[in-house]
Amino acid sequence: MKQILAIIRPRKIKETKEALVKAGFSAFTGTKVLGRGRGNVDFRVLHAAEIGTEEAIARLGDGPLLISKRLMNIVVPDDKAGTIIQTIIDINKTGTAGDGKIFVLPVHETIRIRTGERDTNALQEQ
Amino acid sequence: MIMVQAIVRPEKVYVVLKALLDGGFPAVTKMDVFGRGKQRGLKVGDITYDELSKEMLLIVVKNEDQAAVVNTILRAARTGDKGAFGDGKIFVLPVDESYTISVGTKDEEAP
Repeated sequence: MKQILAIIRPRKIKETKEALVKAGFSAFTGTKVLGRGRGNVDFRVLHAAEIGTEEAIARLGDGPLLISKRLMNIVVPDDKAGTIIQTIIDINKTGTAGDGKIFVLPVHETIRIRTGERDTNALQEQ
Repeated sequence: MIMVQAIVRPEKVYVVLKALLDGGFPAVTKMDVFGRGKQRGLKVGDITYDELSKEMLLIVVKNEDQAAVVNTILRAARTGDKGAFGDGKIFVLPVDESYTISVGTKDEEAP
């Protein structure tokens, strides 16, 4: 099993949910998160501030250091991971920086608390 | 590729973020969490606070950067020289794959 952590734009969450349901995966856990990537930091300002340029130091707090994102946490069987990743990319790709990231982590065990079913059985949709 | 999950004090989170930026690790995701540790929360008189407010940071890096990231967080998040209960935890998890959505393809190495 794989845990797919997708960090996407907040306004894309509805479209992504709909697309995932169409692809046959309705279960996920969502979290409001803040974050930054490589693109959100103006290194010229940062370097100037380190040298001690007053103008740059004043601008340090101006930029959106942390940007609001949504984290989708989806656990799926190994062979379904590719479909989900492609679905998320298709919906969320605008081609500009800030579209987000997808991370895929291994999962040791899944248990459905209601029935005690384990692993792939616990992931099966009704 | 690895994911470093750091749970730190809310008042320390911007110190840690600045330290990571200076250390060359700008990409971070931050979320509010609540938790307790092995001290079973905080006891003040008769009242026990067992859901303490913390911030969780997620950082995905190359395997060889693990020590640098962990040490940066350790130095920045610790209270005083010796540290104190409640300074937090750092977990390191394996990451199989990573994708940049704006490019649409699998990353060759960690971001």
